[in-house]
Amino acid sequence: MNAPAQSTAGGASALLEVRDLRKYFPVRGGILNRAVGWVQAVDDIDLDVLPGEVLGIVGESGCGKSTTARLLMHLIRADAGRIVFDGNAVRADDAAGLRELRRQMQMVFQDSYSSLNPRLPIEDTIMFGPKVHGVSSAEARERARELFALVGLDPAQFIRRYPHELSGGQRQRVNIARALALEPRLLILDEAVSALDKSVEAQVLNLLLTLRRELGLTYIFISHDLNVVQYMSDRVLVMYLGKVVEIGPTAEIYQRMQHPYTEALLSAMPSMDPDRRTETPPLVGDPPNPIDPPPGCRFHTRCRFAEDVCRRAEPRLGPAAGEETADGPAAGADHLVACHMRVAASGHSLAPAG
Amino acid sequence: MTTARTLDSKQQAIVDAAQVAVQSRGYWATVAGRIRDDKVTIVCGLVVLLIVFSAVFADLIALADPYKASMLKRLAEIGAPGYPLGADEMGRDMMTRLLYGGRLSLFMGISPIVIALAIGGTLGLVAGFLGGRVNMLIMRLMDVFYAFPSVLLAVAISGALGAGIGNAIVSLTLVFIPPITRVTESVTTQVRSLDYVEAARASGAGSLTIIRVHVLSNVLGPVFIYATSLISVSIILASGLSFLGLGTEPPEPEWGLMLNTLRQSIYVNPWVAALPGVMIFFTSLSFNLLSDGLRGAMDVRL
Repeated sequence: MNAPAQSTAGGASALLEVRDLRKYFPVRGGILNRAVGWVQAVDDIDLDVLPGEVLGIVGESGCGKSTTARLLMHLIRADAGRIVFDGNAVRADDAAGLRELRRQMQMVFQDSYSSLNPRLPIEDTIMFGPKVHGVSSAEARERARELFALVGLDPAQFIRRYPHELSGGQRQRVNIARALALEPRLLILDEAVSALDKSVEAQVLNLLLTLRRELGLTYIFISHDLNVVQYMSDRVLVMYLGKVVEIGPTAEIYQRMQHPYTEALLSAMPSMDPDRRTETPPLVGDPPNPIDPPPGCRFHTRCRFAEDVCRRAEPRLGPAAGEETADGPAAGADHLVACHMRVAASGHSLAPAG
Repeated sequence: MTTARTLDSKQQAIVDAAQVAVQSRGYWATVAGRIRDDKVTIVCGLVVLLIVFSAVFADLIALADPYKASMLKRLAEIGAPGYPLGADEMGRDMMTRLLYGGRLSLFMGISPIVIALAIGGTLGLVAGFLGGRVNMLIMRLMDVFYAFPSVLLAVAISGALGAGIGNAIVSLTLVFIPPITRVTESVTTQVRSLDYVEAARASGAGSLTIIRVHVLSNVLGPVFIYATSLISVSIILASGLSFLGLGTEPPEPEWGLMLNTLRQSIYVNPWVAALPGVMIFFTSLSFNLLSDGLRGAMDVRL
């Protein structure tokens, strides 16, 4: 075990602290159905979530965003890693601890339809969680009514409806109400608004921001929509092929990104200004196969700055040693990046002199 | 900003309310509404009800004793005085025997399905929900049964156990466990991977609670409908076993057995000889169409 990894949030005490989280999925094949390879979905990631903040997680499809969310909820078992919630380490084999964790931490899924039981009136769906945790039916019903009002659905009209009698936006409101029914402190929103059309998406985003302020919630906001993440998040974490490549305050990431992948990702954001349209694709090709990720830096196959050192050694997440710019001082301790170009004397020709 | 957002959600509620002017109806009300528009299903349902009703209350409806033979009335024509549907080769009243025969035929057709539903449903639920090795073990075991054609399997098991109603039911149950297990397993596997089961797990519920509240309600519908469609096959198979002498034994009235004993009289009085077959045909057809109609009506997504 290496020395305790440093905080990814600049030293403040975290609500959720994740260290060396790893999940490899076996690829089975052959007549004996043995594992012939491993999909390295999430590979030794560290992250911290501060109380009250919105941490955005961005990355391409298949970079491990949703796997991370499911690992945090303990819906799938991690191969390695440590998850500390509010100072308490959570172990996968500790049933009582898991139950408590799941009361404090809830998740909203992307597909608003498949995340509601089609045979249950939505009121029963919302009452399910509290009842599992020993709340009486009457009290759970009362709470469901309050939650309906909170997420902007008229209880008198909606409580006995079935999911197929609601629109997509209404269903996602129900899902948010369901997640809030256990009065959690941390909400994981896994592409929670991605399936909604733009006008409804905006309403739900504003609802989420209102709820956060009124209930003092903390969010992990997973999305591939960079504009939405910028709007919602206090800090942003960028993932590539199961690794964290960069993490920092939203403004830092969006204006003074340090990692070439972040740069490419952000330049793919459509511009509102027709004179500033993106003419050349920032990146070509698909991400490499996560079954057999490239050695060294995982991004080197598509990086235009790649050098020998990038193929040999894997860069570690560390403070971004950016130069001072006109906008202000160099990147702070809360802006971390995993790139040889940003580490002094790493062997990369563009690295700052050490 | 706060007011603007609060207003936002209030306005949204009003818009939502206007959008969905249709009042929510419960699930069963929706199903009933759909069935009301489906004439075939209603007719088949009525026929099934009539058959079941007449079988259950056979001793109240029947005019004669099903075992009382009469040499003089052998193979009486349909409509002969005192014999509305004629008489069989022993001169027993056909109508009475058809009514009583419905009892045995339905009993032998439905009870294997009910037992197989309990056993196969449980096996499939366990296999589908647990997955992995348990699934492999149960499903491969079922595949062994699949290796034999169902009629052959039923005949072979019945033959090995010997004739009799009980043995026929056992053999039919064994025939129907594998398909019910397979359907239950596949539906359960599908349901298990849906987000609402994940969400239920994320709220801290145990497996049994999740199965009871979220899995069972979504699996039971399709499996129940599938089992209904098997009843028609089961009635035919049960009659077939009796026809071959592996089910009920004479002089019990049972449609399959009656068909067999009347077979020799087909040239003498074809109408009377065909009657048990007609009963089997209509019963099985009605069950089949009824299950078809229910499948359509109970689909939530339509």
